[in-house]
Amino acid sequence: MEVRDLRFRYDDGTEALRGVSFSVAAGESVGLIGPNGAGKSTLLLHLNGLLPESHNAPAAVRVDGLPIAPNNLPDIRRRVGLLFQDANDQLFCPTVFEDVAFGPRQLGLSDSDVAQRVADSLAKVGLAGFDRRAPHHLSGGEKRRVCLAGVLACQPSILILDEPTSSLDPKGRRELKELLHQIPLTKLIATHDLELVVELCTRVVILDKGLIVAEGPTVELLSNEPLMLAHGLDRPHILRHTHPH
Amino acid sequence: MQADFLDRHSRLDSPVHRLPAGAKLAAALALVVAAVALPRSQAIWLAALAGPLLAAAAISRVPWGFLARRMLLLEPFVIGVAVLALFAPGGGWAFAFLVARASVCLFAMLLLANTTPFGDLLRVLGRLHVPALLVTTLALMYRYLFVLVDEAQRMKRARTSRTFRPGRSRTWRTSATVIGQLFIRASERAERIYAAMCARGWR
Repeated sequence: MEVRDLRFRYDDGTEALRGVSFSVAAGESVGLIGPNGAGKSTLLLHLNGLLPESHNAPAAVRVDGLPIAPNNLPDIRRRVGLLFQDANDQLFCPTVFEDVAFGPRQLGLSDSDVAQRVADSLAKVGLAGFDRRAPHHLSGGEKRRVCLAGVLACQPSILILDEPTSSLDPKGRRELKELLHQIPLTKLIATHDLELVVELCTRVVILDKGLIVAEGPTVELLSNEPLMLAHGLDRPHILRHTHPH
Repeated sequence: MQADFLDRHSRLDSPVHRLPAGAKLAAALALVVAAVALPRSQAIWLAALAGPLLAAAAISRVPWGFLARRMLLLEPFVIGVAVLALFAPGGGWAFAFLVARASVCLFAMLLLANTTPFGDLLRVLGRLHVPALLVTTLALMYRYLFVLVDEAQRMKRARTSRTFRPGRSRTWRTSATVIGQLFIRASERAERIYAAMCARGWR
C-alpha cells in the first residue's frame, strides 16, 4: 500500500492532511501514532476510499498498485479491511450472524459460503456460537471482536485498525492484542496505545497536524523522549526498563 | 442500560417461541385484520380472538406483569383516540368496543414482538419480497434505537450531574439543547455507519 502526497481539506476549511506520503509493505505491521486531531482517522478513511479524492490528482493512494478510483472501489474495499473506532458504528445488523455475514453477502457469495465464512471468522475471534446474539447485548470486548470477525469475513489482505484497544478493559485489550498477533495480515494500526505499538509493530509513523513528522523502527522512535513529547506522545513504560546490549 | 425494553422476552424458550417466525407473523396479522374488520354488531367475536391470544401468552411464559405494564403504557394512546366516540350518540358502547378492539391488536403485536427475535421477522419480510430498502431501514432502526436511547441517557446523566439549581424554564431549555445535540449526533453517526457499510462493500 502506497500513499503519495495525500492532501485533504474538510468542507469547513480544516486542513486535515497536508501532503502525507508513506508506504506499507506486504506482511508488515505499522503503527500510526500522533496526538488527537493529527489526522489519523481521516488518513484511514482515505485508505478505504471513503473520502472524496478530488483534491488529489493523480490519485494519492494506491493499494496493491491499484489507484483509488470509483471503478476500483469495490476491489479496494475488499482488499482493505477497516476496523472502526466506535464498535457501534460498525455493528449495524440485528444479530451477530447478520453483521458478520454483511461483507460476504456484498461480495455475492452463496448462502452456504456465507455461513461458512461467518462460522470461520467467529471461531477465529473466539466467539463461536454467538451467531444469534444481538449486538446491543454484548460487552465492549465482544463487540470489538465481532467487528473484527466482520472484517475478516471479507478476507482482506490488509487490516487497518482505528484505535482497536480504546474503551476496552485490560482483559479485553490483552485478548485483542493476542488475536491481532495471530492474524497474519499486513496491518496498519492507528492508536494512542503505545504499548500495543511496541508489541505488534516493527515500524511506526508519527503524524501531527496533517504531516508525517517522523518515521522509523518502533523502539528507536518511541525511546526518543524529546520527539515523543513534542508531538503529544510519551515514552511507553515498557521501553523505560529495557537496556540495549 | 436496559437495551432490551422492546422485546425483552423474545429469546425465551417455549413452544410459542419455537414456532416459525413466518407463521407467527401471519397469525398476528390475520388476527389484527379480523379484529379491525369486525362489525360492531358482532363484538362478541372479539372474545373469540382474545381467547387464543391469551392462551398463547400463557404458553409463551412471557411474564403477565410485563405484558400488563406494556399494555398500560400503550393504552393512553388508544383511549385518547377512542374518547372521541363518546361524543357520538350511543357513544359509551362504541368507546368500549374501540378500546377492546385496539387492545386485542396491541396485545397481538406485543406478544409477537416478545416471542420472535426481530432478526427472524426481518428475514421473513425479506423472503416475502418486501423491498430490500425497507427491510434494511427497519433493521437499522431496530439496531440504533438502542444506541440512541443509550446516548440520550448518557447525555441526560451528564446534564443532571451538573444541574445544581433545578428550575423549570432552565430545564426546558437544556432539554431542548439535549434533543438538538441528539439529532446532530445521530446524523453524524449515520454518516459513520454509512462509511462502515461502504467499507464492507455496500453498494
